[in-house]
Amino acid sequence: MSKQESGFKVISVLVLIAFFAAALLAYVNKITREPIARNMKEETKQAVRIVLQNLGQFDYPDDPLDKSLTEFAARYFPAKNASGQIVGYAIIVKAPNGFGGDFDLMVGIDSTGKVLDTYVLNHKETPGLGDNMKKEDFKKQFRGRSLANTRWAVKKDGGDIDALTAATITSRAFTAGVKRALTVFNVLNEEAKQ
Amino acid sequence: MNIKEKAIKSFFMENPVTGLLLGLCPTLATTTSAENGIGMGLATTFVLLSSNVVVSLLRNVIPNRVRIPAYIVVIATFVTIVDMSMQATLYQLHKTLGLFIPLIVVNCIILGRAEAFASKNTVWHSFLDGLFMGLGFTFSLFILGSVREILGSGAWLGIRLIPESWNTILVFVLAPGAFLSLGFILIGMERLSRLFERGK
Repeated sequence: MSKQESGFKVISVLVLIAFFAAALLAYVNKITREPIARNMKEETKQAVRIVLQNLGQFDYPDDPLDKSLTEFAARYFPAKNASGQIVGYAIIVKAPNGFGGDFDLMVGIDSTGKVLDTYVLNHKETPGLGDNMKKEDFKKQFRGRSLANTRWAVKKDGGDIDALTAATITSRAFTAGVKRALTVFNVLNEEAKQ
Repeated sequence: MNIKEKAIKSFFMENPVTGLLLGLCPTLATTTSAENGIGMGLATTFVLLSSNVVVSLLRNVIPNRVRIPAYIVVIATFVTIVDMSMQATLYQLHKTLGLFIPLIVVNCIILGRAEAFASKNTVWHSFLDGLFMGLGFTFSLFILGSVREILGSGAWLGIRLIPESWNTILVFVLAPGAFLSLGFILIGMERLSRLFERGK
């Protein structure tokens, strides 16, 4: 506290520290960028296998294709059997307005428009409440549902979906997300017919 | 400085969470399970250790007037390194802790140790201080996480202790449960610390 350092020294020390910090971070970023991208891609690819596992053998592209509708955008993997026919889609949508914002949801849909399974890719829902949406108890009620045979809302809002205990907002977002995926499916299916 | 004495001190009497009541925000938020507690604790330990060493190395270079900005730059650098390397190697754990890793920057334990200890002591002592303080922090996060996971989800370190269909005390996974558990743990640790002090 005794002596006051000159302004020049103060500035140059701070600049030097910031410079070294930046250099170090640039280096770490360079070596971790690829593993991080690979981890994310790996997870997405595994998720496709999980949501479409009932289809048996199928092929799908390495990277998802884009599909923009007027209200939202989605990405999807078409799954083809050995003879090149489309047997289902894994569609990635944003589930809107969860408790911690939007979250990424992958929905597997077979060629008749029925939900096969769901997978949450990344989310910020409450641990122990909202993230129970990943559990079998909640997920199983979506299987076999289509756009036509279901009222797409939680029971509290007059729909068919059982909401999670103490996580109605998450359940609403999840339900809306699955509905979005089915909407995307309908568009893709119409296009395929033409 | 006696290492064993220092260890006992940082685990009990001067434990960051239960002794000094520092860094309670990440403590309460991330300890929904024992595994999360350990993950958060070890990430913080690494940052604490590294920033303590660097701050101690630079203690005669950093001008007094700008020491806090300088410390923050050092700490933020290490936090970002932890964030990126966890995402590259421990992807699943990073997904659970995600939001809280960048917040280690503002954890007052780290700035507190830089200011109160590392800026006045040798590199070796600062290293030890960072290590033990970090482990003490991890220790209390692990205890808190265990209590909340066992009572709130009926599991420990991911192993189910009671059948999934049974009801658990849900409130322990939520924020109020964190405060409740922490309160009781504080009582317990206080008793233990007194025992150690009398034993000396």
